[in-house]
Amino acid sequence: MAHKKKNRNVGIIGVGQTKHSSHREDVNQPEMIHEAISLALKDAKLTMKDIDCVIHGNMELFEMVHQPDLWHTLGTGAFGKDSIRITTGGTVGATLACAADNLVSSGMYDIVLAIGFEKLQEGNTTGGITNMADPLWFRKIQAGALTGSSAYDVEREFGLERANRASMIYRIIMDKHAGLNPNAHRAFGLDFNQIDDLIKISPKLVGELKLIEMCSQSDGACCVIFACEKRAKDISKNPVWIRDHITAHKEETFNIFGYNREFPVVKTHKFAAEHLFKRNEIKDPLGYFDVFEMYDPASWWAIDWLRDFFGLKGDEHLKLVENKEIMIGGKMPINPSGGVIGSNPIGATALVRVAEAALQIRGNAGPHQIPTPVKHALASGFGGTMWTVLMMLEKELNW
Amino acid sequence: MAKKEMKGFEDSYIVEGKMALPYTYFAGRVGSKFITTLRDQKKIMGVKCPTCNKVYLPPRQVCEKDFTDIRDNWVEVKNSGVVTNFTVVRYDDKHLPRKAPFTLALIKLDGADTPFMHILEGIKPEEVKIGMKVEAEFAAQTTNTILDIDHFKPAAAEKNVFERPGTGRKPWKPEDEHETQEKRRGGKPDMSTPVIITAALSGAATMKNQIPSVPYTPAEFAEEAYKCWKAGAAMVHVHARGEDGMATHEHDRIRATHDAIKERCPDLIVNLSSAVGMGKTAEQRISQIVAIKPEMASLNTNTMNFSIIDRKTGKIFIDYVFENTFTMVQDFGKAMEKNGVKPEIECYDIGGLDNTLLVAKQGFFTDPMNFNFVWGVAGGQAFRSEAFIAMMNAIPPKANFTTCGVGTDEFPCIMQSCMLGGHMRVGLEDNIRMPNGELAKGNYELVEVAVRIAECLGRPVATADEARLIMGIKKR
Repeated sequence: MAHKKKNRNVGIIGVGQTKHSSHREDVNQPEMIHEAISLALKDAKLTMKDIDCVIHGNMELFEMVHQPDLWHTLGTGAFGKDSIRITTGGTVGATLACAADNLVSSGMYDIVLAIGFEKLQEGNTTGGITNMADPLWFRKIQAGALTGSSAYDVEREFGLERANRASMIYRIIMDKHAGLNPNAHRAFGLDFNQIDDLIKISPKLVGELKLIEMCSQSDGACCVIFACEKRAKDISKNPVWIRDHITAHKEETFNIFGYNREFPVVKTHKFAAEHLFKRNEIKDPLGYFDVFEMYDPASWWAIDWLRDFFGLKGDEHLKLVENKEIMIGGKMPINPSGGVIGSNPIGATALVRVAEAALQIRGNAGPHQIPTPVKHALASGFGGTMWTVLMMLEKELNW
Repeated sequence: MAKKEMKGFEDSYIVEGKMALPYTYFAGRVGSKFITTLRDQKKIMGVKCPTCNKVYLPPRQVCEKDFTDIRDNWVEVKNSGVVTNFTVVRYDDKHLPRKAPFTLALIKLDGADTPFMHILEGIKPEEVKIGMKVEAEFAAQTTNTILDIDHFKPAAAEKNVFERPGTGRKPWKPEDEHETQEKRRGGKPDMSTPVIITAALSGAATMKNQIPSVPYTPAEFAEEAYKCWKAGAAMVHVHARGEDGMATHEHDRIRATHDAIKERCPDLIVNLSSAVGMGKTAEQRISQIVAIKPEMASLNTNTMNFSIIDRKTGKIFIDYVFENTFTMVQDFGKAMEKNGVKPEIECYDIGGLDNTLLVAKQGFFTDPMNFNFVWGVAGGQAFRSEAFIAMMNAIPPKANFTTCGVGTDEFPCIMQSCMLGGHMRVGLEDNIRMPNGELAKGNYELVEVAVRIAECLGRPVATADEARLIMGIKKR
């Protein structure tokens, strides 16, 4: 692991996002990407001339364009520049941020622009994701990325009623957060007095996983600009520093698409968080961080994963949700942006987590800004065959 | 699973897979406008970057080069263009738009800077050439796709040459002249006199690395001359070039160039240079005129600096003295008149004009004398309106004048000449750029500018025969 081998510090100096939406018939892929790039350049007060390298990321096969980074030069501004394409599934946005950090800290480039995008309205998500399966034994049978296993686990441990209510409280909090975020795709205006109705009415997808609890399919792009310490301080009044990041992989013979108690899934979150916090000497992550932008594909996964990320015991994670400590203004605000349940342009989604966490530290996230000062932020990415990426962001260079 | 029957593999199965996935790609607003104008108006529209002038086709929202937002800057491009690259598809497959073999070509439409791909039909694959002219054939039925252009086919060769102006007009005769010689000398022009447009196709120093359309070979000269004639020129002024592009005094090459032009455009007046190029002897300069006997030839009138100087910094790149002694002016003039070659008397300043008038007292020049006021040579005068009028007033009563200017002097000086009843010379010898600073596509585009000036001033553009009548040239 490359921890503490960084050649120099890296700061985030520009952020740009499109409005995430299911209706972007007005633009093609490079045109939509260009919106995010233009906003990020404007935010950083830079032009394309200042950018040394462009890294491009999205889901493989989802739009069925081979080497989309070539066509997208029309929108990314990579013409004549060093350009790298990254595609690591759902984590790709977070991997872009890690790669940008590595490229700048290594000294290869002073300023790197990362662009993640997805145009799910154009593509065939299920077709793309089915190609991920073992072509001999799984492809003909399975399709899609839904799992009810988290719901099943939480339900078994805490009982159906409490589990269902916790998941729905989380869902409604995300909806309230999304309602504050002008870029969010979905905000229904849900309220806590609707919990029982929603549990009853919302169609069940797998087990207790309900339609309302699942993330959206969005079109959107997110761009983040990274600079070395010297340039970041020259260019930006309030750069956000990348302290550390970690990536954990594992392959689990595709039990993510089914459920088998012999192969409990998604322990990469716990593994990644434990290692990251240990090597940064953070003993109480819940107390240390001021905000967490979590990759939460569904509310069931989210409530379950809180325990893995923060190393919580018993029902501490459910209490955080039930006591609304994860709301803006609470002890550990989760996803003030509305999260992945609010907007999910997949190739951009994990980069949006980093971008939103950085905006919270900068203090100008917009209507969904946390009212108290944000000094330490955490952002996660999830995807692939159970991959976790975690990134720590800091306001001060004092660790 | 299918069982592999090949010997030795009887125990091995192969899993056969097939994926057919629906996708819907959004053209966006920019792409949608391209499709709808193609469909409804049969027009091919591109977008032009206002920063770098690049015209994108298919249209783009952003200039990939400088990142300028170009979405509203629509320009119409021509339905014809050139093949910049091609491939031949030699196998049949379901997803292909035609039965094999067929040609897929990258086509750069006239007015666009980026090529795009389409099907090329109406020509055998083995006859397709890079650089060939092609034109769009629109589809009878719309599909709201790029296939609203059904295919491209070879275009007729002369398709894009500007049509010769003023056809159908009653030919001009000397008795049609309105104004008296006295009034003309005072600056009262006769706007009814046709204006003679000359294209100086090459000069001695304009090279292909500056502008690819400058001709070197006889065939290139013939093609440039033809385009200029179609655009409205009555005369071409020629410095023949060798294969390497250097100005040549070799009779065979000059004759081949002269004859190639006359063969392509028998009507056109060919005016050969008696300057030829730097470092040529007097004998080399005049012997070719005597040998080839063009209808007209240039006669230079003073010994002068003729150099290449950086116009911005004044730095001297090439310093050269262009020798034209009184004896040479006299001998060249006599040789031309004796051989029936009408001299075009080149005056780089008013002193050159006076030199000519001095030796003219010997009486060997036939009327009318034809002067060319040259502006902007490094070593000669720069263009000034009052200097122009002084020269115009200094020429003998029956004489004609035309004018040419180097670089940015070209357009102001020809405009003044046209306005004062004189004639106009343009061409890549003098200037390679259009008034807006873009490189001219060829000599013919500069001729088109001169034609527009004549049209603005209401002067008819002279045919070659009218030019002969005006300048006293005997047709060969």
